[in-house]
Amino acid sequence: MESSSSTMDRVNFRTQILTRHLQNHHIPPTDLIHTAPCVNYSPPELSEPLANFDTKSLRKLLDGKSIDVIDHMFNLMIQSNLFCPRERGGKVFVSPDFNQSMEQQREMTMKRIDYLREQGAFDGWFSRKGDDGELWRFALAETVSVFDHSLGIKLGVHFFLWGGAIRFMGTKRHHDKWFKPTETFEVKGCFAMTELGHGSNVRGIETVTRYDARTEEFIISTPCESAQKYWIGGAANHATHTVVFSQLEINGVNEGVHAFIAQIRDADGNICPNVRIADCGHKIGLNGVDNGRIWFDNLRIPRENLLNSVADVSPDGQYLTAIKDPDQRFAAFLAPLTSGRVTIAASSMNTAKVGLAIAIRYSLSRRAFSIRPNEPEVLLLDYPSHQRRLLPLLAKTYALSFASNYLKMIYVKRTPASIKTVHVVSSALKAVLTWHNMRTLQECREACGGQGLKTENHVGHLKSEYDVQLTFEGDNNVLMQQISKALLAEFLAAKKRNKPVRGLGLEHLNKPAPIIPSQLTSSTLRTTQFQTDIFCLRERDLLHRFVKEVSEHQALGESKEHIFTVTYQLAEDLGRAFSDRLILQTFLDVEATVPAGSLKDVLGLMRSMYTTILIEEDASFLRYGYLSTDNAAVVRKEVMKLCSELRPYALSLVSSLGIPDAFLAPIAFNWVDANSWSSV
Amino acid sequence: MAPTTQVLLKESSHVRTIILNRPKQLNALSLEMVSRLLELFHAYEEDPNVKLIILKSEGRAFCAGGDVTAVVKDINKGNWKLGAKFFSTEFTLNYLMATYTKPQVSLLRGIVMGGGGGVSVHGRFRVATDNSVFAMPETELGLFPDVGASYYLSRLPGFFGEYVGLTGARLDGAEMLACGLATHFVPLEKLSLLEDALCKANTGDPKIICSIINEFSGTPKLKEKSQYFRLKTINRCFSRRTVEEIISAIEKEASKNMDDWITWTIQSLKKASPTSLKISLRSIREGRLQGVGQCLIREYRMVCTVMRGEFSRDFFEGCRALLLDKDKNPKWEPSKLELVSDHMVDQYFAAKDDEDWEDLKLPPRSNLPSHAIAKL
Repeated sequence: MESSSSTMDRVNFRTQILTRHLQNHHIPPTDLIHTAPCVNYSPPELSEPLANFDTKSLRKLLDGKSIDVIDHMFNLMIQSNLFCPRERGGKVFVSPDFNQSMEQQREMTMKRIDYLREQGAFDGWFSRKGDDGELWRFALAETVSVFDHSLGIKLGVHFFLWGGAIRFMGTKRHHDKWFKPTETFEVKGCFAMTELGHGSNVRGIETVTRYDARTEEFIISTPCESAQKYWIGGAANHATHTVVFSQLEINGVNEGVHAFIAQIRDADGNICPNVRIADCGHKIGLNGVDNGRIWFDNLRIPRENLLNSVADVSPDGQYLTAIKDPDQRFAAFLAPLTSGRVTIAASSMNTAKVGLAIAIRYSLSRRAFSIRPNEPEVLLLDYPSHQRRLLPLLAKTYALSFASNYLKMIYVKRTPASIKTVHVVSSALKAVLTWHNMRTLQECREACGGQGLKTENHVGHLKSEYDVQLTFEGDNNVLMQQISKALLAEFLAAKKRNKPVRGLGLEHLNKPAPIIPSQLTSSTLRTTQFQTDIFCLRERDLLHRFVKEVSEHQALGESKEHIFTVTYQLAEDLGRAFSDRLILQTFLDVEATVPAGSLKDVLGLMRSMYTTILIEEDASFLRYGYLSTDNAAVVRKEVMKLCSELRPYALSLVSSLGIPDAFLAPIAFNWVDANSWSSV
Repeated sequence: MAPTTQVLLKESSHVRTIILNRPKQLNALSLEMVSRLLELFHAYEEDPNVKLIILKSEGRAFCAGGDVTAVVKDINKGNWKLGAKFFSTEFTLNYLMATYTKPQVSLLRGIVMGGGGGVSVHGRFRVATDNSVFAMPETELGLFPDVGASYYLSRLPGFFGEYVGLTGARLDGAEMLACGLATHFVPLEKLSLLEDALCKANTGDPKIICSIINEFSGTPKLKEKSQYFRLKTINRCFSRRTVEEIISAIEKEASKNMDDWITWTIQSLKKASPTSLKISLRSIREGRLQGVGQCLIREYRMVCTVMRGEFSRDFFEGCRALLLDKDKNPKWEPSKLELVSDHMVDQYFAAKDDEDWEDLKLPPRSNLPSHAIAKL
């Protein structure tokens, strides 16, 4: 009995297995017949592994104390029809209507500002004090740029440039008169520095201002066509007032560049007498900003309109200043305007985040080609080549965002002694971060294929909106050379005083040169020791080479100016080396604040990706011999390995970037529904 | 165990009508009810014979909310985790409704408050009528708008959601329709005809269902004094970043133009628990940027913090003053907005440091719709 029942059991068991096999065998083909013709969208949330770290904590490392302010701005924008909410594929997205004419886009930008002002978004712009006030202003400006760069620029010109000039270049009499109407937009300000003939070289501008002691007025004039003010944001349509940068001529002596307040339109928007304004016209991007050109025909302004923080003119026409050296005066004068570079650096990172969140989410739902016949097509991000294109950029974006936060902090905590550091760091990061953003957007656009071309999908269009960042507030190439000049000066000054080098993170120069292992391995590449060493070695060696090259030229009796024009190759390599080492340092500082655990691990992985990809991509490591060709091969292999290790975190890492879904694009979500016939 | 009588069922071919049946308690949701509803919704989703779900109620109220008196009694017995069980079941039900594949039509006769909103607003069709009254009155109870309200309130026009969530304003059927909490308005006398028509149509096609409801629908006029006409002022004030700024913006409006509505608005904010106001505002603001699942997970953290009572016991005080002793005079602690620090608010949003506590685990959904995607 027993044995027969157990036989029967076995038979039954066997039958069950066979049935299951047969069923399994049969069901997929019928399924295929039903589903194969249609590509279904499946949200990555369903298939991707859950984050093994707290995404909220990671976002906090990026946005810090400003999360609240940032999210509030997002809330304000999402809730107004002025931000053009539209439903695509079951989700609501906001973004400007770029199909509108330039004039319409400009009006929309102004309406959005009015709306934000009405909701009290700018209340206390000038009165909020301290670090919190500064961080609040930055957070506000950066967040509106996530919606539209034009909105950010238009606000930035009014508050940071016009408002900043009044605040920092002006004195109490200007603060009392202009802060309030600026905050309420009764006065709309612009900032007339650049001219047709002079951009980065501010000291070369040609606008001239003279003083008339009889009437106690300044007279501003545009002496020639190349002196017309050019690219002045806000000038073409809306601005009522401007800060004018001009040479100041007192009793026939040129006292250098000074800034004045001039009214250019009346309250009804009519252009004032003795002022001529023309439009800069349609641009490749930023058409929501009304860039204009201004000519001054002996425009008279009251003596009090000179922004007199560093120099003044007495009623009887005497030039008064506490800083005798015109170079120093000019530096002290422009120093506070660094805030512009801080916001540019930060908003370029937000844009890279938008691009990557869209491209990576798309690559987690879009498939192409089957590896074997009858198998499902492969998810884009499961191709190692696709990982190589996007994941290093993601790790870099985290690294550069940490650096951007560091820049913000040293700006906020600036002292007279730290002005130089702020200047060098802001130049370096402005250049590196904006370059990174453009490169990221280009890669994202290609990674999205044809979808990347659609304006509604952002990644392609953002390129033309953000391209301007590479050249305004200092051309990136010029900035890179300036960094090297500053490093050289620091180094030589320390040597002259026979003291160790201090500041700008250059202390490593005082130690013996680090030694790089002759044979690199995967595990060496991931140690902070190696990563720091090779970045320091590169900076140190390039600085020494630069010193040597400059002194060789000097020995030939060449002028300083000439020497810097011919040593640009080393100068730019050194500028990079300085920036990369600084960014690695800020990454390590952030990592040090995180307790051991999964979040720290993923940060470590991203840091290794950041350093390894730089070593692989930057020719200087091979060019100057910090890396043997054998080791270069090890590095290249490691990049691929790091990509596959980061792959499982892709979704949680883009989610932690903190860009709300509404500011992403239809291809980041259900792109099948978003393009269905019923949505036409 | 015999099935509960607090939830009744009517089957008509492919249509299932679920009736909340606890009329004496205004159909306040008990643990028994939410558990049963969850079980039914799970079963109906799998059952190919079910195409449409109608949710309605016995008596004069649709649903007055979660049965918080029961929850408070449980917690007072010594274990807040009994309360947690109620909320996790209720929130899971809300999530299931928000991501449901089959249409749910809720017929909203009478009061729709708190949890009553949660079991209806997440569904596809919400039919308001002449005697509908909607409110999320949690802030006067020391709680906050939960049941996924941070998701749906934040998606109302402008900053109406902040207004409704913070003041506990009562909305009538016309206002519910105007702001989108209701999808349709059907006059009271036609509601049962609509129900019959839906049963007769016996379909799960949302387009057909919608056109049937349209046939019975009216276009109610907003009352002359409707608060919805104040949307501009509401936007100007309730868009502010903090509760303090919201109140001072309303007071500024009051100094320009005082009327009954402004007086009432200020009073209800002053009457509410300061802690509740602050966590509610933050919750709605975060909710606006999140998917429905993420909202519910966050609200679950919040409600667990409320029940543990470490930072404020306002929920217990509110229930005492309004539901048990009924002296309507709660003593909030902290008593003023400025005493509720950002740090305290942060704690409501953090994971609980408790050995056997865990975040709300929502059931995996194979059909996760785009709008429900939560960036977890």
